[in-house]
Amino acid sequence: MGGSAGGESDDPDFQIAPIIDVLLVLLIFFMSITSAQVLKIDKNIFLPVAKNGEERDDKGKGAVLLNVAWDKALGTVKVSLDETVLDLEDKEKSVEMIRQKAIDPATKKHNPKARLLIRADRLVTAKYINKVLELGAEAGLDNIAFTGLNQEDQAMLAKRGGQ
Amino acid sequence: MKRGKEVPEKDLGFQLAPMIDVVFVIMLFFMVMAGAVKVEYEIKTTLPGTVENTESTDQPEEVNIGVSEAGEITLNQDPIGRPGDKELKDLYIEMKKLADAATQAKMKIVVTVAAEETAKYDRIMNVLDVLAKAKVSNVTFSATSGDEF
Repeated sequence: MGGSAGGESDDPDFQIAPIIDVLLVLLIFFMSITSAQVLKIDKNIFLPVAKNGEERDDKGKGAVLLNVAWDKALGTVKVSLDETVLDLEDKEKSVEMIRQKAIDPATKKHNPKARLLIRADRLVTAKYINKVLELGAEAGLDNIAFTGLNQEDQAMLAKRGGQ
Repeated sequence: MKRGKEVPEKDLGFQLAPMIDVVFVIMLFFMVMAGAVKVEYEIKTTLPGTVENTESTDQPEEVNIGVSEAGEITLNQDPIGRPGDKELKDLYIEMKKLADAATQAKMKIVVTVAAEETAKYDRIMNVLDVLAKAKVSNVTFSATSGDEF
């Protein structure tokens, strides 16, 4: 009967295998949360802070993303739908492009759940935000979401001189 | 002259210690990065529209928040936020009160953010952020020529 009680002299060794298991799990965890949240933002757009907003969730909903960059030299905006630059003067064409983007690929019809995601630079004026909203409204999108960062981008803030 | 031939090649096998070192360093890197990661948040609004309704509905309480070019914030024409005040605590307190009162009265609160055409998006987002903090969800946005201020 010396099975379990007779082990007082056995010094438990340092087990390396479970340490590696734990380390790898932690590593995968931190890798996944870091890579999943890294933004692919147009570097010309300096988003404002919206720390009380909701985290972006594009799953199952068609999001039409409009990037609105501010051209400081010209004092105007550059609106782009994903990678394509929209001409605000040619309203009909821009609306049509947004409308095409809001079509559900499965049903080939307008997706009623589609929403317009506006990612604008903090220097953009309300006039242009309104113009972008008008484009979305004419394309049949009334669910609007403005995007911002969860925290201040200090590097960008320094680059812009605190603006 | 058989010095080179005599050394036996020793199979070192798989070395765990350096592997753990490397894994530790990579893990520390990702841990540090995870804290500084910038996530994109969104604030939802809707465009005003018309809906056919046959049943009678309660008139929602309407609140108008103005944003001027200089960054001054007004609540139903009364100044409530100075330019540069990003936290907008007074606006938050007022909006929280209104939202709580509307919830108790089982009424809806509709907020219209009316910004001057030349008001900056950054300032508008300050207001929208405060509204999101106060859990006000029915928010519409409009830009005005500036005569209303």
